[in-house]
Amino acid sequence: MIRFIAWRLLAGAGVLWGAATLTFLVLHFTPGDPAEAVVGGEGAAPTPEVLAQITAEYGLDRPWYEQYAGHLWRIVRGDFGTSYRLHTPVTQAIGEQAWATMELALAAAVTGLVLAVAVALATAGRRRWIRGLAAGAELLVASTPAFWLGIVLLTVFSFGLRLLPATGSHGLASLVLPALALALPIAGVLGHVLREALEEVLDEPFIVSARSRGLADTTVRVRHALRHALLPLVTMSGYWVGALLGGAVITETLFTRQGIGRLLVAAVNAKDLPVVLGVVLLSALVYVLVNLVVDLLYRVVDPRLKEAA
Amino acid sequence: MTKKTLALLLTAATLLAGCGSTGASSPGGGAPKAGGTLVLGENGQEPPCLDPHGNASSDGPVATVPVADSLVWFDADGTIEPWLADSWNVSDDGLTYTFKLRHGVKFHDGAVWNAEALKLNFEHMKDPATKSPLAAAYIAPYEDSKVVDEYTLEVRLSSPYKPFLDILSQGYLGMISPKQIKEAPQTICEHPIGSGPFIFDKWTKGQSITYHRNPDYNWGPKGAKHTGPAYLDKLEIRFLAEDATRYNALASGEVDAIDFTPPQNVEDVKANPELGFLSAIRPGHPMSFWLNTSRPPFDDVKVRQALLAAVDRESIIKGVSFGQYDVAQGFVTSSTPGYAAALEGSIAYDPAKAGGLLDEAGWTGRDKDGIRTKDGKRLVAYFPIAANFPAQRMQIAVQTQAAARKIGLDIQLQTPPEQELTDRSNKGDYDMSSGLWATNTADVLWIQYSSENITTDKRRGQNVARLRDAQLDDLLERARQGENPAKLYNQAQARLLELAPAIPFYDDPRPVAYQKKVRDLTFTPAYPSPYFYDTWLEQ
Repeated sequence: MIRFIAWRLLAGAGVLWGAATLTFLVLHFTPGDPAEAVVGGEGAAPTPEVLAQITAEYGLDRPWYEQYAGHLWRIVRGDFGTSYRLHTPVTQAIGEQAWATMELALAAAVTGLVLAVAVALATAGRRRWIRGLAAGAELLVASTPAFWLGIVLLTVFSFGLRLLPATGSHGLASLVLPALALALPIAGVLGHVLREALEEVLDEPFIVSARSRGLADTTVRVRHALRHALLPLVTMSGYWVGALLGGAVITETLFTRQGIGRLLVAAVNAKDLPVVLGVVLLSALVYVLVNLVVDLLYRVVDPRLKEAA
Repeated sequence: MTKKTLALLLTAATLLAGCGSTGASSPGGGAPKAGGTLVLGENGQEPPCLDPHGNASSDGPVATVPVADSLVWFDADGTIEPWLADSWNVSDDGLTYTFKLRHGVKFHDGAVWNAEALKLNFEHMKDPATKSPLAAAYIAPYEDSKVVDEYTLEVRLSSPYKPFLDILSQGYLGMISPKQIKEAPQTICEHPIGSGPFIFDKWTKGQSITYHRNPDYNWGPKGAKHTGPAYLDKLEIRFLAEDATRYNALASGEVDAIDFTPPQNVEDVKANPELGFLSAIRPGHPMSFWLNTSRPPFDDVKVRQALLAAVDRESIIKGVSFGQYDVAQGFVTSSTPGYAAALEGSIAYDPAKAGGLLDEAGWTGRDKDGIRTKDGKRLVAYFPIAANFPAQRMQIAVQTQAAARKIGLDIQLQTPPEQELTDRSNKGDYDMSSGLWATNTADVLWIQYSSENITTDKRRGQNVARLRDAQLDDLLERARQGENPAKLYNQAQARLLELAPAIPFYDDPRPVAYQKKVRDLTFTPAYPSPYFYDTWLEQ
């Protein structure tokens, strides 16, 4: 078990290194002078002295492999450098935004999961029209662009009914709509997968035997079938994490929330290499950890794997 | 300045005041009350740094002016009024400015405003370590200064620079605490300390900036309606990047005012009895498409004039702005001091004339697509644009493309990655480029069209049309040195109409909408942005 975890962590470090290298190369070899990015843009008129200062301060005149080695070496020592655009340490820039995104992602993940499980449990193996209705609704929210879904939620609940605030990240009320906008498409996909799995499980002999023992339908579904049907959801964790992080960019912009997503967009636009590297590494780290947790969860959900190991 | 221009400016100022202060203090008014929090919804151009000298964002001044006062105040009619400077004296050669400073001004950290503080601010703007994207260039002729006594500073310039005082009134050159500049300059971006009517509280990046009232404030500009501290307890600027979100946040009462009211919502705002509207044209260069005059096809003035005549600017701008924008009449906006009102109407839509000009220029052949040719070459212009090109500007580009096609000129829109775009623009590898430049002096013409400001390896300049005209250079340089600017800027504007280095489209407005309970919301005319010193809330 410990060996397994150690191996996975080592592989994770490899993933992080790969992500850092790719990001560096892509950003470095897109044409353009990062010094311009630091003080450039429409409305800016940097003097030659200012450009020279930036080039010297960030070592932008050094060959790419030296800059690459410098970045890696600093990251290994835990120093992520200073943002070109914000003039603050990257750890601070990310730290200021991380909690808001985490809050949003967690809220959306829980909402999405609860919705998916509830709908799937209630509709799996039911009459044709009930399943059709649920599947249709799932397909609709899953294929609706998050942006548009967000605007609809805003229009109805903020601007129309004036029940919830449209902007900001102050407290629970301002979390409801963005979390819902992010959760609905995920709930659609997960709900669909879960119902298919449940329906398969509900046909298994052990369910028939459970029913024959006189267990109520709800008990059979929740206590016996659900556990088996959850496996594909765990397998899809990569999709979820991706959807949550990717969706956060759009949701944060639309609802004017703080967050990593907006930070990343601004940083990529400004060729702010240190911040982009920091966010990419953080995302890769989240993926690595989530995958590790998922592999461990498999063993809990599916005891057969324990014996195999 | 001619009498006519002055009259026009005064009318404009009166109109502005009519929309603004008078409109805001409508019937049922009464004495201003202190208290309350005002929330302003801003657009998404959140500055990356709140050091006034360290940003060039169009939202820079609205965020820094509450905190940092300026040396002088610029009035909508172009006159310069005292603010942190009581008076000033300019030497006959235009090289020495002696400022007498206001007594009794204190920064938020207790530091005292004096000659040493002003000197430190100039040095901070110039210091390459500040990484100033704008202020350093605006005071480029600044050489050094001498503290004459506690409240007198003598500033020496390397060359005469008439717009010096105008520039100093802009928020980008606001005054920061000398203590902070000396002891912790790296903190200014994150937490600026000035002497303004509001004290900076907190910047939640990607979301909002908050301020609270400075109870000691007693040094407002002369143009203000009252003296003493501001009325508002607190001020919050919230960055609402989406146009629809920003407008709806105002309509639903979530915010008290919004900046950059989307043009599609202006009529709704005006029709809504609960909302007020305030707008000012930003002085400077209109939003334009610049034509690269340094390479074919636009090195031929006839081709430039042809394109200018081929585009129906009136109908394009009316369409994209929902009838809200004024079509530009030349190369500075109508609110810029020195605007040549007599030249209005000089740019006319005349496609027949456009075709004739291209014939004269030798583009007489036609290929199978109907594009003109000369010596086997097609008449093509490349227009690289950014991925985040504003939708409205894209509409203008596409309609210009269609108009050009009708006279046989093929405009090709390209979307290279952002950095390649910067690279190409520095190398002059484009035929068309778009933008505007907001500044409160006709010296914007020197910034945009002096041959000195063509970007080279050594120097980054704003002459994106890469125009090189000896006559124009001479007019602009002499105006800059202070010799009869009114007459010279007039001649320069006339010369530019002949040279046609750009298609000027519209005079960019700063449209602000607010709840009627918000009273006396005004603009700083130097760089029009909402100004909250006199603002109060009717509860």
